Amino acid sequence: MARTTLEHITKVFTDDNANEIVAVDDVSIEIEDGEFLVLVGPSGCGKSTTLRMVAGLETITDGRIRLDDRVINDLPAQDRDIAMVFQSYALYPHMTVRGNMAFGLEESTDLPDEEIDALVTETAEMLGIEGMLDRTPDELSGGQQQRVALGRAIVRDPDVFLMDEPLSNLDAKLRSQMRMELQRLQEGLETTTIYVTHDQTEAMTMGDRIAVLNDGKLQQVGTPLECYHRPANLFVAGFIGEPSMNTIRGTIDNDEIVTDEFTYPISADLAAELEGVSDVTLGIRPEDLELSTEKPEDSRALSMIVDVVEPMGDENVVYLRFDSGDVGIDDDQLVLIATIDGISDIADTETVWVRIPEEAVHVFSTESGRAIRNRRLEGDAERVV
Amino acid sequence: MKRIIHALRTRARNARSDGDRDVGVDRPASAAEALKDEGDTDAIRSDGGVAAETDPTGEYERRRLQRWRDSDFVQSAPFWLPPFLLMGFFVYAAIGWNFLISLTEYSGFGDVDYSTIGLHNYVELVGDAGFWAATRNTLVLLVAFTLACLVLGLSLAILLDRKIRFERTFRTIYLLPFALSFIVTAQFWMWMYNFDFGIVNGLFGLVGLGPYSWLGSPRLVLGSVIFALMWQFSGYTMVVYLAALRAIPGDQYEAARVDGANTLKLYWRVIIPQLKPATVSASVVLVLFALKAFDFLYAIWGFRPRRGADILATKMVREAFQRQEWAYGASIAIVLFIISLAIIAPYLYQQYTQGNL
Repeated sequence: MARTTLEHITKVFTDDNANEIVAVDDVSIEIEDGEFLVLVGPSGCGKSTTLRMVAGLETITDGRIRLDDRVINDLPAQDRDIAMVFQSYALYPHMTVRGNMAFGLEESTDLPDEEIDALVTETAEMLGIEGMLDRTPDELSGGQQQRVALGRAIVRDPDVFLMDEPLSNLDAKLRSQMRMELQRLQEGLETTTIYVTHDQTEAMTMGDRIAVLNDGKLQQVGTPLECYHRPANLFVAGFIGEPSMNTIRGTIDNDEIVTDEFTYPISADLAAELEGVSDVTLGIRPEDLELSTEKPEDSRALSMIVDVVEPMGDENVVYLRFDSGDVGIDDDQLVLIATIDGISDIADTETVWVRIPEEAVHVFSTESGRAIRNRRLEGDAERVV
Repeated sequence: MKRIIHALRTRARNARSDGDRDVGVDRPASAAEALKDEGDTDAIRSDGGVAAETDPTGEYERRRLQRWRDSDFVQSAPFWLPPFLLMGFFVYAAIGWNFLISLTEYSGFGDVDYSTIGLHNYVELVGDAGFWAATRNTLVLLVAFTLACLVLGLSLAILLDRKIRFERTFRTIYLLPFALSFIVTAQFWMWMYNFDFGIVNGLFGLVGLGPYSWLGSPRLVLGSVIFALMWQFSGYTMVVYLAALRAIPGDQYEAARVDGANTLKLYWRVIIPQLKPATVSASVVLVLFALKAFDFLYAIWGFRPRRGADILATKMVREAFQRQEWAYGASIAIVLFIISLAIIAPYLYQQYTQGNL
């Protein structure tokens, strides 16, 4: 177990035509001992490359990686005391489950055979795969293979676990179950874990902290709730949360934000915070939009038309637009997404009033994407986040 | 139940053969009726082959012929029968005939005399020191050549699989000798091994060794032959191994690395075991080539290879076509055949149990 530190990590690939592609750009993260850090971002954002550099499977172009106090940049993968779970599991097809799990211990330690066997059996019992120890991977289901891959990592008791989208090959039910089990295992083992995923749900639910990457650059590191309620920029705001945050471009004109569709009055308080900025993007989470059929006593309310209602059971996702005319899907007119109570009588084509409460509004600089003002949280929420 | 189905099938077939009859009217209303109907003409058949006798019209005979003509066996015959007959005659009948000749005393000019048949040729083989030497050489050649090709081919494949530059070019260079005929290889290596002017002795001379009589000394000759054959065949094993290596996903290497394996252990414990199918199929091809290495040796020495390089195949040809001991040569051929069979049978059996045959 160890604290893992990434210091200004950069990875540059050179392709056949000698073009340089920056996959990871100056990323610094400190991962505490026993922490569960989730690296999250869209495809091609450099999260897997970052993980592979920690594993020693990619060279590091620039920067340093430390485990506690030792720099491991030039240490080959086999000497790093790291265990990795691959997306494809990468189980050795010619070995039994027992052989797969024992392999790492046989290669990386001097433990006698009986001890290795005892450790393997113990780990297998912990994962509920003790009955399959003598089978080969091709005789196992996807979920079982996944457990073996986990077991192979756990049995080594390494300094750091690295997991590269380990759940993405499972079906939805099994995935949420394994998500929970993985968290429980990690809490019990207290092993530092770096977990890569493109799935923001996994990131939100599993991580002690989330590191959001985009285009090779680190966007934000924070607890899931921090990233959700206090996104550092537009990218994080849009990536974390499902459905995504609504964003509306506008300009500041005295005490109003003027957008193509409406003007949004702002308080003196907020106006002061936005001093010196002209182009802003307004952000609001779908659950913070307030829908009503009556016109509310608030100038921050818009009259909109319900386009589509998606019932999810516990909630309804409502797509709202301004124009009543028939519009194509590719029409770039503003669509707001709101989530409301699952049992409500709002129907398609209905006209509703949408209130955008100022305390829930995020304001970003359109130019840099940086958050200028995040939503206000009060009471307990303020304390938790 | 079976009988009901059978009855329905028969009716359907009748309906098909008599196209102009009104099928709708003729078809029985239910399976039970069909069974009853069937009982009239056909029921006794289930007791054995007495149906034909009780069938006065010959209808049953006609139907049986029809059924036979409709069977998959007959219907598919145009496809498998010609090759089956050709193979049967030219391969298996020839082997059988060869075995028959090996039991006679056929030698010199004249016809085969099949009246004195016995195992005397095989008895003679057991007492023939030349036969045992040839057998020993055959087995040494077979084992050493196969192992050498596998090891060299695997090493080349592993080196080529590292995404090196000009990989295709190297692959072609290594595979090229395989495209040459044995005769060319033999001529080529005769010059390489030449006592006075050969490059091999030239190279050894550089470090102050030799000259050696590579193709003359009984102690060296088999090794020289094996080396030359290895030169020709390792490109083939390389290609087989390269294909198998390509099929192993990259994360196998990475997983083993992260698991703490060094390069040697990585290949020995993770990669090479996964190449087992490739090894088996390459071995079978190599072994069979080794058994048939006749043309290479014949191209160098003609009928009589140097002592130490005589294998069963050369001895067989010599006995038959030089000394005209046809029957004796045939018996050596049978021994060679049995050795080949003993080697390939486990492979075929394994393929069979895996459902590949």
